[in-house]
Amino acid sequence: MNSPIRIAREEWRLWLRSKVVVAAALIIAVLLAATSVLTINRIADEQAQRLEQQVAAEQTFFAQPDRHPHRMVHYGHYAFRPPPPLAIFEPGVDAVTGQSIFLEGHRQNSAMFADTKAAADLGGFAALTPASLYQLLLPLLLIVLGHAMFLRERESGTLAVLLAQGSSGTRLALGKATALLSVIAIFMIPLMVVAAYSVVLGESALAATSLVAGYFLYLCVWGAIILAASILIRQRAVSLGALVFVWLFAALIVPRFAINASSAAIDAPSKIESDLVMLAEQRKLGDGHNAADPAFEQLQAQVLEQYDVETIEELPINWRGVVATYSEAELTDLLNRFAENRMSLEAGQSRLFDLFGLASPTIAIASSSRTLAATDLATHHRFLRESEDLRFDFVQALNQAHATDLDYTLDMNRNNDAASAEAARINAASWQVLDEFRFQPDDAGDRLARAALPLGILLLWLVIAGGTVVWAARKVRV
Amino acid sequence: MAFLLSVIAVSFGIAETREQRATIATLIEEDAADRANALSIQEDWGGAAYYAFHLTYEPPSDFAFAAMGQRDTAPWKHRIKMLALEGQIHEADTRNADFGLVGRFDFAFLAAAVAPLLLILLLYDLRASERTARRHDLLVATAGSPQSLWLPRASLRVFSLAALLLLPLWIGATIEGTSLGVTLQASAIVIGALLVWWLIVELVSRIDGSLSVLLTSLIGLWLALAIIVPAISKAAIEAANPVPDGGEILLLQRETVNDAWDLPKEDTMDPFVEQYPEWRENSVIEEGFEWKWYYAFQQVGDQAAAPLANRYRQARLERNRQAGLASLLSPTSFVERSFKKIARTDATAMVAYEDRIRDFHESLRQFHYPLMFPEVEYDAARLEDLPQYDPSQ
Repeated sequence: MNSPIRIAREEWRLWLRSKVVVAAALIIAVLLAATSVLTINRIADEQAQRLEQQVAAEQTFFAQPDRHPHRMVHYGHYAFRPPPPLAIFEPGVDAVTGQSIFLEGHRQNSAMFADTKAAADLGGFAALTPASLYQLLLPLLLIVLGHAMFLRERESGTLAVLLAQGSSGTRLALGKATALLSVIAIFMIPLMVVAAYSVVLGESALAATSLVAGYFLYLCVWGAIILAASILIRQRAVSLGALVFVWLFAALIVPRFAINASSAAIDAPSKIESDLVMLAEQRKLGDGHNAADPAFEQLQAQVLEQYDVETIEELPINWRGVVATYSEAELTDLLNRFAENRMSLEAGQSRLFDLFGLASPTIAIASSSRTLAATDLATHHRFLRESEDLRFDFVQALNQAHATDLDYTLDMNRNNDAASAEAARINAASWQVLDEFRFQPDDAGDRLARAALPLGILLLWLVIAGGTVVWAARKVRV
Repeated sequence: MAFLLSVIAVSFGIAETREQRATIATLIEEDAADRANALSIQEDWGGAAYYAFHLTYEPPSDFAFAAMGQRDTAPWKHRIKMLALEGQIHEADTRNADFGLVGRFDFAFLAAAVAPLLLILLLYDLRASERTARRHDLLVATAGSPQSLWLPRASLRVFSLAALLLLPLWIGATIEGTSLGVTLQASAIVIGALLVWWLIVELVSRIDGSLSVLLTSLIGLWLALAIIVPAISKAAIEAANPVPDGGEILLLQRETVNDAWDLPKEDTMDPFVEQYPEWRENSVIEEGFEWKWYYAFQQVGDQAAAPLANRYRQARLERNRQAGLASLLSPTSFVERSFKKIARTDATAMVAYEDRIRDFHESLRQFHYPLMFPEVEYDAARLEDLPQYDPSQ
């Protein structure tokens, strides 16, 4: 029989006999099952709820009665971001950002009602998701299983016998690696089931497979680190202690350190800060509510010339609507400039954070996992951009209707009495300008391209750790 | 090692609080300039109220450097104005979402989660290594009593770990001017937590197992206490205390405010007068548009959403209270929560900040209503008495 497989089987026999190992494996298996079921239910609820809210928001918008078009600009609309299918495994930043946004004229709001704001606060690890189990706990289980794989042979003296019988260190390492790999393979099954389920929910097979492959890569990195430690270190307890120490750094300390470091290195202003800077510029643009604002004199001259008339009363269109359209466009330009600046700074921070993956494979897998699941910061930014497009489109369509469908004189006199207010309305059919908004995650190919850097870093980790194992196994002496 | 980590955690914390204070200082200045600018061109009370924003903020406490807590995910600054408050108070001006997700490396985290692991790594082999070296029984026999043998060795390790962790904290506290009481409390929490973990290690190492079995059990215990217990409690607490969907608060407020434009004026003024009976005589709206009617329906929008908003607030506090109870089961959660509590970065502090915003908004109303309702003639000079937000009230 093939000797690596025989060694692996022997390893399994030992594991199954150890109560600690069996108990640890069982606990993790139960945890995995429980968190998966909980997360799947929660995400399914949220998905249904957001979609429902989106449809309801559209219907109430369409159902508004006849009124002044600018009222609808302020009535506003909501955009919702339902969680993508793979959020059942990796909810990502969604819990922090909030998933709904209020859209109205002249303003860019931020997403609201993040789950974390109302969460029961029990410290850093309480938010358990299937992804965090794979990232944090499975490596620990592998450490418990594997820290003494070589040492056991060394301590019991069988290493000498094995080597004397002609098994090389490399063959022995291959056998141990096979044993560890089979454990990893077994623990990949729940992830594969969740991934397959996400495909049923409409996720692309490419994204789901890449996610599974990414985690497989990650666990193999840990397997290689553990195997290398068990070959290189000569005492069982030291090996375990050292591996736990490495885990402590990679899984707990470096990611948080990286957060502090990247936020200190790149300063991204908060929205209020950049809004204040922006407001100074905005005041120069003039107030779109006030058609007599001197800021619109040039526009007025231009429009009068275009229609070849002397006064705004003679225009075939409503001057107030023209001003509203013009100033909304100018303002949106300004708002977007500031928003883009903020987002690019944040993206820069996150890129820097990703580079810390070179110091911790946990960072690399966490980044690629969020990206592949479409629950990363970049997807949230795209949501902000798309909902901004939605906002601009319906506001401008309403402003257009204001300019063309509502008579200027009626508009000017709208506050005189109830009858004038009644007259200064347009038909509710004009509210149909609102586009249907259904946020979709990025194409799987795009996500994969974005995850290339962290996945590459993981691969680099595997090459280095695997290389160390091969090198150490070659030199194994008694 | 512990010392180095502690230095890093404390200095990052101090840098961050400094930056938050600097941000607030700049914001106060720019906010005042912006308000003056906006007010300079106003011609009536309504316009002045509409265009003037007011900054509200919650400065980091003198101990926030040790526990940033919810300041990464909950907002600590708002710009609000006289419009309906429910539409403004839930705005979350938070930083990069990745930060809130992963969390910071602050002292609270170090003391709560990392220190116990370090302690385990320091202590687990104290007894067992002697056992493996077959010196255990001899040592016990010669020492007279087991206590006098293990206690000095272990306490040396525990107290040097505590000292190494706390020294940077004390230096940080001196720099930040933290009150002595808070520093002592924090130190007591750290030492208390280490003692609890020491006891756990002590109990476990009585098992006559091999070193790796000991270490594995200890790590398993850490895992259970630091991760599993908090996670299960959190899930249970949140399931038992549902919070109203935030979106509903906003929708209700928006519908109420927007419907008011089309409703008879009395439909707005009646509920308004119920809340503010002193303006009953000035509550008849004669023209198509009057500012006092406009602000009245903003107020009524808040009134309509108030029960829901109140439930949201109550549910958050209740969740937090239960989380406090549950944290008694997990030393890790307990340490982290205690630090946030004394640093005033916990959920209670965040809700208290929101309450202060509500109070300030009320004072804005109290300032504007007497000018708007009796229709006092506009006088820009009187705007100098606009209420100022004071974070300490």
